[in-house]
Formats: sequence, C-alpha cells, structure tokens
Amino acid sequence: MARYGLVIDDSKCTGCTACTIACQLHNNLEPEMTYNRLEILETGTYPNVKMDIMPMQCMHCDNAPCVSVCPTQATYKREDGIVAIDYDKCIGCKYCMTACPYDARKLNEERVPVKCRWCPEYLEKGEQPPCAATCMNDVRVFGDLDDPNSKINKILAENEVVSLLPEKGTKPSIFYVKK
Amino acid sequence: MRQFNRRTFLKASAAAAVVSSVPLYVSFNNYKKAAEDATVHKIPSFCQGCTSYCGIIAHVKNDRLWKIEGHPIHLKSRGHLCARGHGMADYAYSKDRIQHPWKRGDNGEFEKISWDQAFKEIGEKLKDIVKKYSGNSVVWMEHGSHRKPYVDRLFDKIGSPNFVTQYSTCFNSKTNAWQQMVGGTLSGDHQKSKYIIFEGRNFAGGIVPNGMNLITKAKEQGTKILVIDPRYSEIAKIADEWLPIRPGTDLAFRLAMANVLISEGLYDKVFVKKYVDGFDEFWKYNKHNTPEWAEEITGISAQKIREIAREFAKNAPQAFIEPGWHGLHAHYLNSTQTAQMAIILNALVGNFYQRGGLMPSATVTLGHLELPEVFGPEKGDRVDGAGVDGEFKTVEPARGISHLIANKVAEGKVKAVFVCNNNPLRTSPSPEEQKQLKDADLVVSINIDWNETSYHAAHYILPEHYYLERYEHPYTVSGHITHEHPQIALRQPVIKPLHDSKNIIDILDGIAKGMGYNDLYPFTVEDDIKAAIAPLGITFEQLKKAGTIEFPATLKTGFPINKGKPALKTKSGKIQFSAELFKLDGKIGVPTWIAPKVMPDSSKADEFRLIHGKQPWHSHAMTNNNNYLMAMSERYDGMSMWMNTARANKLGIKNGDTVTMESSIAKKEVKVKVTELIHPDCVWVPSTYGGYSPKNTTAYNVGVNFNDFIPVMVEPWSGSTMSQEVVVKIRKGAM
Ligand code: SF4
Ligand code: SF4
Ligand code: SF4
Repeated sequence: MARYGLVIDDSKCTGCTACTIACQLHNNLEPEMTYNRLEILETGTYPNVKMDIMPMQCMHCDNAPCVSVCPTQATYKREDGIVAIDYDKCIGCKYCMTACPYDARKLNEERVPVKCRWCPEYLEKGEQPPCAATCMNDVRVFGDLDDPNSKINKILAENEVVSLLPEKGTKPSIFYVKK
Repeated sequence: MRQFNRRTFLKASAAAAVVSSVPLYVSFNNYKKAAEDATVHKIPSFCQGCTSYCGIIAHVKNDRLWKIEGHPIHLKSRGHLCARGHGMADYAYSKDRIQHPWKRGDNGEFEKISWDQAFKEIGEKLKDIVKKYSGNSVVWMEHGSHRKPYVDRLFDKIGSPNFVTQYSTCFNSKTNAWQQMVGGTLSGDHQKSKYIIFEGRNFAGGIVPNGMNLITKAKEQGTKILVIDPRYSEIAKIADEWLPIRPGTDLAFRLAMANVLISEGLYDKVFVKKYVDGFDEFWKYNKHNTPEWAEEITGISAQKIREIAREFAKNAPQAFIEPGWHGLHAHYLNSTQTAQMAIILNALVGNFYQRGGLMPSATVTLGHLELPEVFGPEKGDRVDGAGVDGEFKTVEPARGISHLIANKVAEGKVKAVFVCNNNPLRTSPSPEEQKQLKDADLVVSINIDWNETSYHAAHYILPEHYYLERYEHPYTVSGHITHEHPQIALRQPVIKPLHDSKNIIDILDGIAKGMGYNDLYPFTVEDDIKAAIAPLGITFEQLKKAGTIEFPATLKTGFPINKGKPALKTKSGKIQFSAELFKLDGKIGVPTWIAPKVMPDSSKADEFRLIHGKQPWHSHAMTNNNNYLMAMSERYDGMSMWMNTARANKLGIKNGDTVTMESSIAKKEVKVKVTELIHPDCVWVPSTYGGYSPKNTTAYNVGVNFNDFIPVMVEPWSGSTMSQEVVVKIRKGAM
C-alpha cells in the first residue's frame, strides 16, 4: 500500500492560478468553488520588497482534526494517507470546517464541506493530479513516501522542508521546500 | 433553451447518452468507479487563449468538453497549460456566444437572420460599396493574420490593400526594429543561458508555459535572472533581483549599458567587426550617454548600471536581454529605439546564433494548394497609411495601424469594415473614437461572443466556429522560445459546433457568392491542410491523431553565412545598427535618446503615469467574459489599480479605496490596491477589464481599461499606440 505525500516548492510559483482552474474543471466545480488557493504575502518597503505566494490545499494530515471531530465518520483517513469524505454520511454539521487550521474546506451547494481530494484516480496510476501536471513551474510533486525511488523522496532528501502550523500537531502530508 | 450551468449540463448530457458514462457530479465514493466506466475521448488540438497556441489534449465525454491538458510533445506546452487555456476551453459553453447570424435593424435592435439572408445582404452592400468607392475603402481587421491567405482571395478580387492586424496595439515597435536591423526575430535560449535580463517583459504574465518551465529549471541550475520593470511583475517573483525603473526611460538604461560595454572595451570586438554594420555611427551619437547621465533619467544608479553591463558581458554569449513581447513595444514615443537597443546590446556581447544567447526557431516549409489565380483591380495605398510615402512610410504594411481605422471611417475613407476575431472597440485607445467604426456603410463582426465591437458597432454579426469546433491550416510552432526540432500542430474539432456557426472559408465564400463571385473558394480547409503537409511525408490521419508532430532537428548555431559572407536578410547581410528605412527626412537610423512624450510633474502629488500589463490568468480583454477567470479576479483583487504606498499616503488613499482618475479624455472611478510593489511615478492596471457590452454579462461594467484614458496617437517609426504616454490625475473618493 502506497502512502502519498506532496512536496510544494512555493519559491517557484508565479501565481498563474492554473492549478486552481485545472482542478475545478477536472472535478466539475463551479467557478466559485475551489479545492486549492494561493496565499499571497508582500513584505518589505519599496524598493526592497518581495512577494511570496503559497499554494494551499487540504494537507491530508496524518493526525487530522477534521477526522476526529466528525460525528458520523463521513470524513475518514484512508490507508494510503488520503483524507476522504463519504458524502452520503455527511450531515452538514460543519465541525470539520471549524476544526481545520488550514481553512481547507468550503461549503458546496449541497451543504457538504468539501475539499481537495488528492485525486486518487491519478495517484494510484503513479501520475500527477491536474493541479500539479498543469503547473508550468513544477511547483507541486506528488508521490509515494514509502517508495525509496520516488521523485518526492529524492526532493525530500535534497531539500530542507517544513510543514505548516507544526504546533497544531496535525502532521500534514504536504511538505514545503524551505528556501 | 440549453442549460449552461456546468454541473447540470454535464448531468443532462450524461443522462442522454447511450453508453454508460460518468454522472459527472458524483460523490467521492462513486468517483473511481464512475471514472472507470467513462468513455473519455482524448483529442489533440491547440489553444486559443493567447498567441502562444499551446498544444492541448481535450478530454471529451458524450460530445461535451470536460477538461483539457497540456499536449506532452508541443513545444509551447510540454504538458503544461496556463489558467487562460483552461478557461478558454470552458468558454465554448458561454451563454454569451453568438449563436446564429444577427442583423441590426433600423431601430438599432438586433434581429436573428439566416446565413442566406446575411450573405445576400452583405454581398450586395459590399458590391455597391466597391463599385462606388473602390476596394480601397474596404478593411479587414483581424487579431493576427491567420485567415489572411483566405481573405486575400476576396481582397484581390475587389482590389483592397487593407488587411489590418491588431499589432499596432501590441508590438509593432519590436518587429519593425528587428525586421530593419536583423531581417527577422530571434528568441532567447533560456535553458542554456547563465544570465537573463527581463526588461519590461513579464514572461510569467505573457506566458509560454514550457518557456517558464525552462526558465525555472535554468534558475535551479544557477542562471541569474534580473527583472527591470516599474512593477514587481510575476516574473520578478522568481528573479534574483528586481530593479524598478522610471517608466518610459528603458531606452536611457539600455544606452548607458551599451556605453559601458563599449567604453570599457567589454564588447565582443571580433563579432562586431564581422557581423555588425553601423557600429561607428552608433557610437558617434551615443558617446555621451554615460551611466551617470542615465541615473538621472532612470532612477537606477550609475554603479548598478555598470555592474549589470559587466555581468552581462562576463556571462556572454550565454547571456541575453529578452527580445520581449508586448511590454515596451507599443508603449512609448521611444519604443522603436528601445527595441533597437535590445538588438544592439545583444549584438555587442556577440550572443546572436549562440546557445544560451539568441537563437532562431527551427521550422519546416509547408506546401500550398494550387488555386486558380484571382484577378481584380489594381490596389491603391493602404488607407491606414502604413508604408505609404508621405504618411507612415516606416510602418510595416503587413501589420498596419489598427487603431486609426475608426478615424478613417469618420474621414469618409473607409466604407466597409470586417472585424474578425478582434475587438478594436475594447483593445484600441479611446473607445469613443473607436465607436465611429459603426458609421461605415457596412460593418460585419465575425466574432464568437457579444464583445464591444459586436454590440456597439456591428451591422451584422456572423458567428465563426469556436476554436474547439473547427479545423485550421496547420501551424508551424515558433515564437518566444528556441528549439532544435521543428514542429507542426493542428487545430481540429474536438466537439461538434454548439450553435449555427461556420468556418471562415464558408463565411468568405458566402459573402463572395453574395457579390456574385461563385468560384473564389473552390476548396475546403481540409484540402488546404492536406496540401500544406504534403511535402512533410505525413498523412492527415497521422496529424489528426498526434495533434503535434516533431521533425528531425534542423537548427544550427553560428551566424548565417553564404559564400563566406554574413547572410542576414538585411542590406549588408550583417546586423544593421543603423536602420536604413528610419533615415527618412534627415533622421538618423541609429537609436539615441528620445524622451517620453509626456511626464508626470513630480511636484504634483496627484499626477501619475498610467501603465498596464497582462495578468497571468487573463489574455488582455479577450478573456474578461470568462466565469472561471473572472472568479479568479474576484478572489485575488485582480481588478484593482496598483499604487505605491508612499504616494497613496500623501493623497490619503487607503487600500481598497475608490478613487477618481482623470486623463485628457476620460474620468472614471477605480478601486485601488496600495502596495510597495510599484514605482512611485506610476499606477498600474491590468489590461483585462472595463467591459462595456451589456450582452457580455460577466465582463460588463467590471473595472476600468487603460484604453479608456489614452487618446489615439501614432508612434512615428512603427505606428503603435504609445499606450503608456498618458498622465492621469488621481484624487480620493468617487466621482
Ligand atoms: S500552477 Fe504552479 S505557478 Fe501557477 S499558481 Fe499554481 S503552483 Fe503557482
Ligand atoms: S489533488 Fe486533485 S482535488 Fe486536490 S487540488 Fe489537486 S487537482 Fe484539486
Ligand atoms: S500560454 Fe496559456 S493561453 Fe496561451 S496558448 Fe498556452 S495555455 Fe493557451
């Protein structure tokens, strides 16, 4: 059984938003609904100023607060690491939305708090989901953390990486390259 | 009436299908199973989101486009696509598309008409106009020149020289300089370069996805990237250094760089001696343009200019200054000289035809259909004056001066206008002047949606098939990146036409027949494609299946030489530092300092230069009616105008405030983003917004457009709009 992870090198992101719309069309989302987003931060004073762009989506945490707060087990952790939602079990209580420290969930038209699915239909074939594949700067690399030869493990070995909000103890499966 | 909501439409079409298929709005649990059951057809074609024309693989279910992916082989995409590409694909289903021919009635309202009626009426009117005023009064305005070989047959028949592209609003100053000095354009070899200067060129805004991929890979290998731009553009985000330059002064910066290269002896003397003509003349006029001189003008320190020139020379020939695209090349009075200086700087370091420097694109020669020749009356001078003695002699006639056509209607010189895949009412300066197009005797808009030109100016609107619904003449892949292997790409239908539209040959043929010319178009686009690929040893079926086909490498390094002599297509065969054609009326052919036409008065707190640029998820105004892309604009405050924090503070303007902005021709309200990421002298707006067609419902009344504020002007050498030669006054508060 694979255990999936994602490494994001945000230093390469130029904010084109292709990852957002590629995901929307693949997952048949309306224009207003997104499973990923960019956090943009400007620091410094003119002319010594810079912009950071951080692509964000569900972190598929190993210790996911949304899983533990869900009263019906509609949100659950799969063996391969994906945090999945059983829509039929969801009662729309929105506990998961409140529990998520990364603001990964949005309410859809059917009142289900939805989020990035990690597109298993791609990962299971060893392919990159649309958000990663379309990216002209190869910002995202998905892969199997248990496979020592995977590209993701190569990147993890060559770079220092951080997770977001480690103090929350969520153990995210997304690693950001520290640059 | 078709329901266009993505989900319900998908559901409906899935339900109607015979084969079992993905219900498409499925719960996650069912997704995998459903995806396995789906019949997904993957059809290659190429994108229409911008002129990069990336290869795409369209995924189609039940005749409905689901999504697209980047074509893995195509040089512009190599598997990657930008947001616009995805958005444009979905736009096939926009409810604001033109669904059948329309005619504007006497009351100004549009009424539905048949193609037969449209062809008959347009043909008869055009015939009358040609009879009365000659073919010289007829104009075809198109974005690019893709349809030109077809239009030419009609225009040869009626005797019109007036095929006009949109390039005067885009990059005339660049292509003109390159044509005169080099005989054609080269592109940067990003992948192998060690030092790249992007000056006024936002490669991450005007995107070639695979080009960006090569740039970020080069950066990982240690290539240094310098961005010189008044705004911290998206490419600045990955640069080693961002240098905000005073807008309009790039020419001074470039002259000073050349000054350092020459006065410090850093230039490639062997290369210059062998391959450059006019070096002495250039130096004679520019000896005095020192870094100290340029510091005053540009705001970049003399020391910095020296540092850059030295580093540029040190890394050469694996170093180049980007030849650029739109940025700088339709913007200022000195745009042509600025473009000339890009050529001169690159030539001074000897990077022409060198890996890591500037290289041509590999290409193949296509065949063509043998068609009966068309005979018609002799053509007169171009009505826009491009290339005409005593008018705009130095402007390239093949590109024309698009933003002058409406005024030529007002002068009574233009009587019939065809506007195809083009929207001059939004993309040319001074919309009120552009609206005069409607006063011609015949105005036909051949566009896919209710853009401003269709809505405000057209007498007839004829829907062309959308790019996903049609074949086109094959395209040799080239532009903005270099590659060793020539490629050709095919645009082919991936879905059936959704509306009562036609392809361009049938539209032209219908109009010709309406005029009584029954045999001008004795061929189909398929015939044309087959003739084009005949010399290449591939079949139509192979091309349809592959979408993009790559051929063995043809590219060689080294300056083109013929019989031992430099063989560029220029007067001397060398790079001409002095452009012969520009020497008209006692002018000089080498670039030297020309100040911008206007300058904001630095003593006035409310004066700014208005500049603009391409947002990475929009293709100028072309995508502003797209629901997905406009939702992106909402999400990222994309409609706001950027203003430097210190300047905003002086005027009491806070982030998110509405201000009133006024130029000599317009006064409008706009929301402001207060930021440190822009030079204090200017404000910046994205080139996307300001839709004013009520029937393009998503774009309508959202934001402002730079064109609203600029009068119609013509850059004297290359004919472009000088779109950043405008000073605006800004005050806090609504109008
Ligand atoms: S597609 Fe890539 S470069 Fe574009 S916004 Fe997403 S992560 Fe950034
Ligand atoms: S993994 Fe799939 S669902 Fe998640 S952001 Fe990427 S494309 Fe969207
Ligand atoms: S760069 Fe984007 S819009 Fe332009 S052709 Fe490529 S995918 Fe389409």
